[in-house]
Amino acid sequence: MSAPNCLRCLVRPTAGIPISAPLAAPIALAHAHARAAPFSTTAANARPRKETEKKTGSKDHSRGGKKLQLGKFKKDHIASKGRSPLPGERKAYRKRITLSNDNAIPVPWLTDLGPEALASAENTARVLALPEEVQDQLRAGEAFKPTQCWGMFRKPAVLVRKETVDLANRMQDAADKKQMLRLVVTGDKVAGKSMMLLQAMAHAHLNNWIVIHLPEAQELTTACTEYAPIPGTDPVQYMQPVYVLKLIQAIKRANEKVLAKTYTAQAHPELPQNIPPNTPLLKLANVAKEADGAWPVFQALWSELTAHNAARPPILFSLDGLAHAMKPSDYRSPAFDLIHSHDLALLKLFTDALGGAVKFPAGGAVLAATSRSNAPRVPSMELALAQREAEERVRQKVEGAEVPQKDPFFRGYDERVEAVLRSVQVLRVGGVDKLEARALMEYWAASGMLRATVDERAVTEKWTLAGSGVLGEMERATLLTMRV
Amino acid sequence: MPPRLNLWSACRALSVRARPFAPAPPSGPAALARGLADNTTSRPPNPNSGALPASMLPASQPPAYTSKENEQALDQLRMIEYGLTALDPAVEGHKYGLPQLPIASQKHAKHRYDSVISQVTRLLMEDGKLAKAQRDMAIILNYLRTSPPPRLDPSRPLLPGAPPAAHLPLDPVLYLSLAIDSVAPLVKMRGFKGLAGSGKSLDVPMPLKERQRRRTAFGWILDAAKKKTSKGSGRTMFPHRVAEEIVAVVEGRSTVWDKRTLVHKAGTGNRANLTHAGVKGKI
Repeated sequence: MSAPNCLRCLVRPTAGIPISAPLAAPIALAHAHARAAPFSTTAANARPRKETEKKTGSKDHSRGGKKLQLGKFKKDHIASKGRSPLPGERKAYRKRITLSNDNAIPVPWLTDLGPEALASAENTARVLALPEEVQDQLRAGEAFKPTQCWGMFRKPAVLVRKETVDLANRMQDAADKKQMLRLVVTGDKVAGKSMMLLQAMAHAHLNNWIVIHLPEAQELTTACTEYAPIPGTDPVQYMQPVYVLKLIQAIKRANEKVLAKTYTAQAHPELPQNIPPNTPLLKLANVAKEADGAWPVFQALWSELTAHNAARPPILFSLDGLAHAMKPSDYRSPAFDLIHSHDLALLKLFTDALGGAVKFPAGGAVLAATSRSNAPRVPSMELALAQREAEERVRQKVEGAEVPQKDPFFRGYDERVEAVLRSVQVLRVGGVDKLEARALMEYWAASGMLRATVDERAVTEKWTLAGSGVLGEMERATLLTMRV
Repeated sequence: MPPRLNLWSACRALSVRARPFAPAPPSGPAALARGLADNTTSRPPNPNSGALPASMLPASQPPAYTSKENEQALDQLRMIEYGLTALDPAVEGHKYGLPQLPIASQKHAKHRYDSVISQVTRLLMEDGKLAKAQRDMAIILNYLRTSPPPRLDPSRPLLPGAPPAAHLPLDPVLYLSLAIDSVAPLVKMRGFKGLAGSGKSLDVPMPLKERQRRRTAFGWILDAAKKKTSKGSGRTMFPHRVAEEIVAVVEGRSTVWDKRTLVHKAGTGNRANLTHAGVKGKI
């Protein structure tokens, strides 16, 4: 039995016992209830607890003094703020391409590229800007790369080199004669091989060619996109529907004007949408909405582009990172054998064109660029390119030129690769000369990105530091404050 | 130990030698007669012939490898022998002129970068990977170069004499040094053990040198950058976070300013300790 009074202080409790009755109850009843509490705790415990009581009560029966704390030495957890990035968002951030820098000073003497600008030798060692429309087209074709320094200048501009003029002239000659230029651009690391492809694409766009560009061969062969066998092919070929859909959309965006003016020559009953003859090719390209039907649409588009009985513009078909397309891919057949890259249908189209098996009706060019930083070793390709270069030297009767031969004790050669590269031309891109280096450095200085006087001494210094004018090295030595 | 001056050394020079000097080894011609490099068979020196070999005599045939350049070089050597300056830069000339002396510090391979940049790059470095730190620094500077001009906060003034905000992106090195120097603290607290009574240490403000101030400030910036989350992926992420923090410092948004304020408050609060009797001789 509990004592009614507080035993320690011997004072009758007044505020110690909580008033339990609701205020609406009569006072007499409440008083009785309060008086009943000392004899029976049931009623007091049974009533619902109030929030205020919780706070006034002791803290969860915890005693004072020393307590065991677990994990008190753990590092502070960084609270994640906001949402986490969606799948693919981080990669998009990494790969995003900025083509303009508002901080850079606009260069007053910079002129836009014209249709003939890249083919005329007067423009050698001049920096020329890409027109807005061509910028959009090149962006759609993924010609710009995130490692190139586009984001530093007010406006994307390119240096016209001797090799550029040479390449543009060869392309123009081929188109004039309705022939095909089949050429591989090769050279040292960061020498400007991809930039040479970009300039070729710009030239093609300016002259109303149709441009099909495969920006990275490794996207097709490293087994990172879906693939499926094409029924009715022997030996079995494989299509890559998701990539092809992306490619069709890129072609459509890059060549919208030209495709709208080019018309189909035959009907395409195999497509889900009715495409009668004399329909613009743009409409044909629009048929591809989903990856499932993309490959037949691309085939139809390809057959239209290569149809010989209709008016067609010249075509530029280009690929970057050739080595990845010249070796067995990482895909597996149902028998778990590695599939050769040339059995992937899209790459087969390219290699056939590069090897000379396909003829474009109005001529054009098939260009490929090698890569030095991300390239598997392909001995056949290296040998074939060296042989083609040496043959050219022999043809020009250079002293001591000798065509390299196969190593008889090496088994790693690939006949399919040799067959493709048997008759291509090779354009070697090396360092720029000092005149070109000076033009480039003057452009950098005029843009405010290079804070130095550009004189002969400075140009020679940077040119030498860059290994006789290798462009990427010049950028590193001059443009970027420390090496990247 | 230097020899002492004494009388005996002077006397030794005056001494009379009774015996003749030891015979000197045969000079010049005998040494030349030992044989040329192309003669593979070893032969003993010929003691009785004091004459030069045939090729050494002036009347003999000139060597077969003479060329124009060789002749020029020999002429120059002869002129030097006669006491004339053969390699006169006024005559010969230099392709790119002579370097200006004293050579500027940035021409030295190891001091080629700005002093702030090289110090901060080494603070960025982890595991001794300097090349990676340099790449990160280049990405930071590129970020500053391409980001829009900062909107300055008047309540967080930068160093006096700073250029207008629109000029900063065009000079990223200045941008970075301005940010670091503006938040750099002037003092640090040094604790003197046991001086505050009952075993407590006495905090005394100590002035920092320029490099120390920069080091502290960039350490704070790095701490703040490491707590941020990345937007993307890849190797540019860490330098981008650092660069964002630097922009935040210049715009006055960064928490680094609060750290600086705290340190300065503690410094002013404890400045009376500078005259503490226990501290007096130790600073």
